[in-house]
Amino acid sequence: MAEKETVKRMVKLIFPQNLIREPVTFQMAKKYDIVPNIRRARVTETVGELVLELEGKEDNVEKGIKYLLEKGVEVKPIVGDIVD
Amino acid sequence: MGYVKGLKCRECGREYPKEPLYVCEYCFGPLEVIYDYSSIREKLSREIISSRAENLWRYQELLPIDGNPLVGLHSGFTPLVKADNLARELGVKELYIKDDSVSHPTLSFKDRVVSVAISKAKEFGFDTVACASTGNLANSVSAQSAQARIKCFVFIPADLELGKVVASLVYAPQVIAVEGNYDEVNRLCSEVANKYNWAFVNINIRPYYAEGSKTYAYEIVEQLGWRVPRHIIVPVAGGSLISKIWKGFHELKKLGLIDQVDARIYAAQAQGCAPVVTAIKEGSEIIKPVKPKTIAKSLAIGNPADGYYAFKTVMDSGGWGEEASDEEIVEGIKLLARTEGIFTETAGGVTVAVAKKLIEQGRIPPDELIVISITGNGLKTQEAVSSKLDKVMRIEPNLNFFEKEMKKRGGEKNGS
Repeated sequence: MAEKETVKRMVKLIFPQNLIREPVTFQMAKKYDIVPNIRRARVTETVGELVLELEGKEDNVEKGIKYLLEKGVEVKPIVGDIVD
Repeated sequence: MGYVKGLKCRECGREYPKEPLYVCEYCFGPLEVIYDYSSIREKLSREIISSRAENLWRYQELLPIDGNPLVGLHSGFTPLVKADNLARELGVKELYIKDDSVSHPTLSFKDRVVSVAISKAKEFGFDTVACASTGNLANSVSAQSAQARIKCFVFIPADLELGKVVASLVYAPQVIAVEGNYDEVNRLCSEVANKYNWAFVNINIRPYYAEGSKTYAYEIVEQLGWRVPRHIIVPVAGGSLISKIWKGFHELKKLGLIDQVDARIYAAQAQGCAPVVTAIKEGSEIIKPVKPKTIAKSLAIGNPADGYYAFKTVMDSGGWGEEASDEEIVEGIKLLARTEGIFTETAGGVTVAVAKKLIEQGRIPPDELIVISITGNGLKTQEAVSSKLDKVMRIEPNLNFFEKEMKKRGGEKNGS
């Protein structure tokens, strides 16, 4: 069977307060063999925002995003909502 | 012939050439068009602008095209209505409505941004434009693509009512109804934009497209006799319009066309989709996405691309943000119609309702100049108000019936 293609996805992660101190991104990267390349971040007392690129096998990136969503992290495309 | 220097990242300031790029490859920040203002300053004066045709291209030097505009030759320069009746009702002295509900050709402010986007797309050599939209944007892209003789794809969620698509379908674009939830439609469009060599107006053409919004600000200033309004209430969806109005005011100052920008800008959102207003009230520069639930569909953007910049505009200007419930939106639409004879869509109901609230709260003082932004036409969202209006007077074709009915309604005083 052919190897799944490597993909890169630009995303914005929004962490609720209870997850700011947890290494969720690291856990996701380790678990699904994803390279997270952090480009920008903003953190306040109550919320954190991380703009990064996720690189890995397509299936793994999908699973990694699902893992983050299940943890309670919002995963959004960096271009925002396109449907206007 | 244009005055565009290139693109610049709004986050890290890195500069890029004027190409169909939209994101900084270093920090993934959004890109914005930058101009050669010193050359524009030599070229533009109040007199020159005022002598030109009354459309948005009278400010062409401040728009990101190099050649002649192809579409939008009748767009923009919408009325700035002195709203004395509404002013009396709200207890304020000087109130204006900037009325894009009568914008040519598709009755919303989207005609401004799309005029620029399609002119630029043709200039870049694209043969196809695309957008993802449930309403005003789709209408304008479809209509103006037809005029520009360029292929057009419109992506919509498959569950959108057919009635909403007619005002796009009539111009014969390719309409693609995507089976999937809102997030899936967003994602598909992003993938299409990356793969196909199309001008996706609110993705890869976005830095150019968004510049069209500045004309809304230029016109207000010109129509006020080269004055910036002290207070302006602006609807926030993706957050682009409000930050471009701020940019527009400051450009006019930079060019010496006005002396100062002493405007306060207020963000207006619907209660069921108010991520920017929530951030303003909480003083948080991180915009938390929401799941929209409001009748104001044209403002139902839960994850606004320019949310942070909308927040920053409001804060920098010393303004504020407020939200309107569905009921208040309907009341806002009815209030504007009954006082000024202007039928706006739900987004206009939001700005009117929010203006009323801010005045009642004392955030906007009654004796200073106020502008309310009206960005779309009520004929497009009739379902929002149709069940909340007075019933019609139904009678037999007989004068007695008519007079009886008039008496019942206390309307005989208006008769002869």
